[in-house]
Amino acid sequence: MMEMDNKQAVLRLPAEKLYAHELEALRAADQDTKPAGWQLSPRSVLTFLTGGEVGGVTITPKYIGNKRLIEMAIATLLTDRALLLIGEPGTAKSWLSENLTAAIHGDSSKVVQGTAGTSEEHVRYSWNYALLLAQGPSDQALIRSPILRAMESGGIARFEEISRCASEVQDALISILSEKTIAIPELGREVSAQRGFSIIATANTRDRGVNEMSAALKRRFNIIVLPAPSSLETEIDIVRRRVGEISASYELRATQPDEEAIRKVVTIFRELRSGVTLDGKEKVKPPSGVISTAEAISLLTGSMALAGSFGTGQLTDEDIAAGLQGAIVKDDAKDQLVWKEYLDNVMKKRGATWRSLYSACSEMNG
Amino acid sequence: MSGSARGPHYWGIRHLSPAGAYHLLSLLKEVKPTAVLIEGPSDAGHLASQLVARGVVPPVAMLAYTEQLPVRTLLYPFADYSPEYQALLWAQRNGCHAEFIDLPTDVSLALQDLRRMPIAAEEAVAEADEPAEGMSFGLVQRDLYARIAELSGEPDYEAYWERCYEHLASPEAYQQAIVHFSSEFRDMTEEAELKSAPQEVAYNEIREAYMRRKIHDTIASGHQADRIVVISGAHHTPALTLQLPLMTDEQIKKLPRVPTRMTLMPYSYYKLSSHSGYGAGNMAPAYYELLWQSMQHGELEKLPALYLSAVAQQLRERGTWRSTASVIEGVRLAEALASMHGGSRPTWRDLRDAATVLFGHGELSVVAEALARIDIGTAIGSLPEGVSQTPVQDDLNRQLKRLKLEKYKSLVSAELELDLRENRRVKSEEAAYLDLNRSVFLHRLQTLGIRFARKGHVRQTDATWAEHWVLHWSPEAEIETVESTLKGETIELAAAYVIHEELLACTDIASAAKLIRKSCDCGLPQVMGQATHALQQLAVDAANFEQIAMTVHELSILLQYGSIRRIDTESLVPLMQQLFLRGTLLLVEAAGCNDAAAAGMVSAIHAMSTVAQEHYREVDEQLWTAKLKELAARDDRNAKLSGYAFSILLERHEAGEDECAQEVSRRLSPGIPADIGAGWFEGLSMRNRYGLLSRPYLWRELDAYISSLDDEPFKRSLVFLRRAFGSFEPREKAAIAELLGDLWGAGAETVGEALQQPLNEEEKVQLDELNDFDFGDL
Repeated sequence: MMEMDNKQAVLRLPAEKLYAHELEALRAADQDTKPAGWQLSPRSVLTFLTGGEVGGVTITPKYIGNKRLIEMAIATLLTDRALLLIGEPGTAKSWLSENLTAAIHGDSSKVVQGTAGTSEEHVRYSWNYALLLAQGPSDQALIRSPILRAMESGGIARFEEISRCASEVQDALISILSEKTIAIPELGREVSAQRGFSIIATANTRDRGVNEMSAALKRRFNIIVLPAPSSLETEIDIVRRRVGEISASYELRATQPDEEAIRKVVTIFRELRSGVTLDGKEKVKPPSGVISTAEAISLLTGSMALAGSFGTGQLTDEDIAAGLQGAIVKDDAKDQLVWKEYLDNVMKKRGATWRSLYSACSEMNG
Repeated sequence: MSGSARGPHYWGIRHLSPAGAYHLLSLLKEVKPTAVLIEGPSDAGHLASQLVARGVVPPVAMLAYTEQLPVRTLLYPFADYSPEYQALLWAQRNGCHAEFIDLPTDVSLALQDLRRMPIAAEEAVAEADEPAEGMSFGLVQRDLYARIAELSGEPDYEAYWERCYEHLASPEAYQQAIVHFSSEFRDMTEEAELKSAPQEVAYNEIREAYMRRKIHDTIASGHQADRIVVISGAHHTPALTLQLPLMTDEQIKKLPRVPTRMTLMPYSYYKLSSHSGYGAGNMAPAYYELLWQSMQHGELEKLPALYLSAVAQQLRERGTWRSTASVIEGVRLAEALASMHGGSRPTWRDLRDAATVLFGHGELSVVAEALARIDIGTAIGSLPEGVSQTPVQDDLNRQLKRLKLEKYKSLVSAELELDLRENRRVKSEEAAYLDLNRSVFLHRLQTLGIRFARKGHVRQTDATWAEHWVLHWSPEAEIETVESTLKGETIELAAAYVIHEELLACTDIASAAKLIRKSCDCGLPQVMGQATHALQQLAVDAANFEQIAMTVHELSILLQYGSIRRIDTESLVPLMQQLFLRGTLLLVEAAGCNDAAAAGMVSAIHAMSTVAQEHYREVDEQLWTAKLKELAARDDRNAKLSGYAFSILLERHEAGEDECAQEVSRRLSPGIPADIGAGWFEGLSMRNRYGLLSRPYLWRELDAYISSLDDEPFKRSLVFLRRAFGSFEPREKAAIAELLGDLWGAGAETVGEALQQPLNEEEKVQLDELNDFDFGDL
């Protein structure tokens, strides 16, 4: 098939294709009972997401962090409830949603992308108007939304960035989630969801208040908040993996940052994000902007690009300092003060290993 | 493990375990023992009967404490669902002999000191050859617990325990599981414990030998072995078999002893959850009570609904509406979570997580308070009248005696003057610091809200070594003392607890600084450390220059005078440095204020400058001076403050004659609006006036400025100049007049003489006219 031939050139494969062999191994080894409409038992879904080894095949962890959150997400889908994943930008919401869908349903492509332009038709159904005019309402003329298709097949539909849609579009979900049917009055029938149907939606904490979800809709979701990585080691692990993957695919001509550099950047990010030093002894002021794991990753790859294109190819403290300055000082006057205070009160006291980064940052911050 | 054919029935428990209590009761019903032997201090027999008396409402605790200083305490808390407590109740109702069989408290408290002592020298040498892995046994244990939880796929050890033990429905299964687990765990950790905590191993060995002896004695006294039930922590159960050696009379004689006393005290679920005396913690006493009640009513399946409804109810009462539909979905989610772990019923953790998802919309913070109320609750136990004195009362009386304050414990108020300095005429240290110790003690009582002592005012306010107290005893004070029992076992501990609570509620740096002072007064260096920490935390968000300056000032005072209270204040130095740095950085920005706010700023700048001079070694004085210079040079800040900053620089010889002359003429040049120019001079004149009077060039510049003004600006500047000179003393004004006289060629002496002349009529009239002058017109 065309698609298979193009596999190498495709920029990004869906999770069920990317990890097809893992899913296959899990399916083969699965002994627990599968809920109606599920491809795997809940336990196997958990293994797929958190990693392990099944039948000689290593399952790579898809979500590094609190395992309990994944358990709660799976348990939610077990009770036929819709799932809403909320988090700061860069906390792997969509990634988790895609992989959950791939493991449970085997098809993560039924996606509604929430934007300001998303209309109710995208959520329910629309018509092929040429056919509609020629033949009148018919099944052929009906264009089913991803959600309608998921209902018919008993699968999972994904709704990305739900809080970016207008409230009335969001509210179209209320009846779908409580009645589990969509009426199509033009055809004089209604589509009832098959067992296994559910919706996984994602929303961004930073969008709070843009299109606040109605209480009625919120009540129909089980809401799980995805936190920033809980421990330093976890975050370092995530950053190292992603920086490795990204620099390989973009062919950045710089050496990978060493463990020490990653540790420093992640430490700074964590301390500024949580407003307290890692040892919990000293509070620090957080800056105004987002300082997520994803930012740390792009900071490091950005610094690598700097070093590769204009430097020696070795990542220096100056490159990192430039990246840090850009990432942290956004609303300049205030952030600059925050950054200076952090440099003088925390970083300066960290001793020799931090000295050169400190000087580079101080110089940059002025 | 129900006993073998002839031996006693051993029943291993986890303290504070509802299932343990529940299954124990069915064993007792089945065996109908004549004697129940319980792990607990064997000298607490009289308390055991009081424990089950009418009117006792758990949670209550037995408290043992040494009669002598330093006070050591042992605490045995009981909830309604403590297996030990239920066993006592059952024995009383069924006329069965009940007895505690563990070491008496005088031995265990004596051993407590030995256990804390470092290992003897020769052993330490042996150890040095093979350095320990740097892990204490407690850490090894915690690490094992974490691994067990991980292997079982549970989020934490508590959840593992509840799922695998508390939820077991049959007594046999429960007992087998728990004893099997304990003996395996014991085998696994024995070696590590022997290596890293040999004292603990020895201590357990002694306890178990003693308990075996007690069991043996009970059989010897005529009870049939198979009609005896022995209740102990599951950890000890395997070691209580009578095949192991008993403790001999001789050995019992050799046990060290300290005199102790015991009392019952009301306990609270809050304390049970936070600092239980047992290693096996109880994070959610109120939840376990709910579990216990459901078990008794045979309604365990209702527990999830009951729990989540209670949480929803709590939320509603506090104004967060959550529907019944959410409760239903919560129960379903909790059950789905339980089934994913192969469990039959949701655990506490499952229920909490369900509540977080359904009620909190994923945020624990939304439901945290409601959960705390349902999990921990506010239950406080109560005791009927006639129970022995509380430890705090004892401690208070002991302290009064020690500090020779007994005669003040009367209903007539009396005054007491204290001199905190060391009394060098006496020999013992205790006597030398008697007044200081008294002051510490009285401050602690004040902190506890015990209205025995009231602090009066000292005439000489700056004398940090003098204190004046009014002492007055009353029945209320007695009650308040008893109430303090719940805060801690001694006056010191209770005071520390109170300040700690205040710290948690403290939200601004000024009150945090006060708490540091308070803990210093109360002689509580550890709490002072916590307060310092809290101040540090709050300091981050502090952006108010005046508040920061005052806090820095307060800290500096503590640093200078802390020594009189014999408290180490070194730890305050970094904090002061940090705040000083913040203040320094904020100075220029904060100086952009109006004249009304400038008054407060002046005293704040003064405070900072004083600190900078007093602690020039600790703080960044140079940066402060640099910032002052910046402020002095800036034209867009409050002119008065710029002037004030410049006066400090003058005083410190940071600005010489040339700079001064230049700055004065710049500030007072004709183009500058009069109010700003005069305002600047006003700021300049607020400090060290002799410094100004000794600089004639300054007055020359001022003179030149005033004469350059046109009428209108002159009138305006007059207001400010009048205000600036308003606070000068007559002597100083005269000196200025002499200076100006010199400048105008009249000569200082002539002017001086002229000023000394009495006024003649004409001048008087002129001056009276001036009195009517209305500055409001300007």
